[in-house]
Amino acid sequence: MELTPQVTVAGLKFDLTIILGTIIAAAIVFGLIYFATRKVSMVPRGLQVGIEMLIDMIRGITGMTYNSKRAEKYLAFSFTLFLFILVANQLGVILMITGEVHEPIPWLGITQEALDEHHGTAHVALLKSPTADLGFAFTMAISVALFANFVGIKNGLGSWLKPFINPLHWVEEISKPATHAMRLWANIFAGEVLITILMTKFPLYITFVPVAVWIAFSLFVGIIQAYIFTVLTNVYIGQKYAGGH
Amino acid sequence: MSFSGLGTSLVQLAIIFILVLLVSKYALRPLLATMNERTKHIEGQISTAEKNRADAEKLVAEQKELLIATRAEAKEIIDRAKAQKEVEADKIMDRAKSQADQMLADAKKEIELEKMKALASLREEVGALSVQLAEKLVGETLDQKKQANLVNAYLDQVGRLQ
Repeated sequence: MELTPQVTVAGLKFDLTIILGTIIAAAIVFGLIYFATRKVSMVPRGLQVGIEMLIDMIRGITGMTYNSKRAEKYLAFSFTLFLFILVANQLGVILMITGEVHEPIPWLGITQEALDEHHGTAHVALLKSPTADLGFAFTMAISVALFANFVGIKNGLGSWLKPFINPLHWVEEISKPATHAMRLWANIFAGEVLITILMTKFPLYITFVPVAVWIAFSLFVGIIQAYIFTVLTNVYIGQKYAGGH
Repeated sequence: MSFSGLGTSLVQLAIIFILVLLVSKYALRPLLATMNERTKHIEGQISTAEKNRADAEKLVAEQKELLIATRAEAKEIIDRAKAQKEVEADKIMDRAKSQADQMLADAKKEIELEKMKALASLREEVGALSVQLAEKLVGETLDQKKQANLVNAYLDQVGRLQ
């Protein structure tokens, strides 16, 4: 697939496309929410209605996994997570930017070997969905799993350790973040791959209708996956509050 | 896809962490405060409305009770008035009757008295006439007094026979 511009600073690799996508998604989310809540009134109007409906939806998610006090505590996090992943998912569908590179750019990680692999011309993704990157999805999922277990330990070491007697629990603890990450990544990645193939390998007058349909479907999948990711995040954390199971 | 590197992950987490903080502080907190305030406001309105309705119902019940009491009182007053009226009428009738009786009795008495008077004067007249008649017939003067006694005795006899 496409290469991405990467820089290495102090031994740490930074993927510029992912970071740019993340920043843009975050900026869009914050801009939207900030703009929508400038004139907050008792009688909601305009965007405020939409945001409040969204808050109610997220309240539904947190309400079913935590008790009412904790649900409010996780509301802002879940709300932001949902919107961020939603925007990140749609970013690649709507704003995918790919450049062609013919010369190696070593400081961006585009080396001669990489170019040779792609027969001299590399497609470099400049902007795509961060969630279409496996690393991004795993970062999110592993962070959630770590946080969930931290919550579990804080909630009582004994009750956190107890389920580990069952070997299946070990499998579960590993499979949970793995599936959590891959479900999101695979759905978004597959969507972008198919859009790329349809748009680059065939003339547009043939693929116009399928591309339109697939973009619409990808938008839908992006919403669903954002919802699922948020629900599962809350469920995984909520399970640890309940002391294993 | 290859793993995009730990650096990317750290940057990504930092961005998301900052985003959560910003959204929470600048957008959600005022919005949630407003939503809570609205919930409280609506709850207040509902409880006020419920209280008002309960008050109104109580008032209506009170009014109804009062109306029933008033109606009963009015009926009692009317009944009492009716009873009073009857008593009064009876009284008036009785008084009229007794008055009439009295008048009748008085009239009778007067009639009796007049009759007696008339009889007495008649008796006197007849006595005198009889004496005059007898004088004329006998040609001598009878003792007026004696004659009168005679006639009276005679008339008493007649009266008794009547």
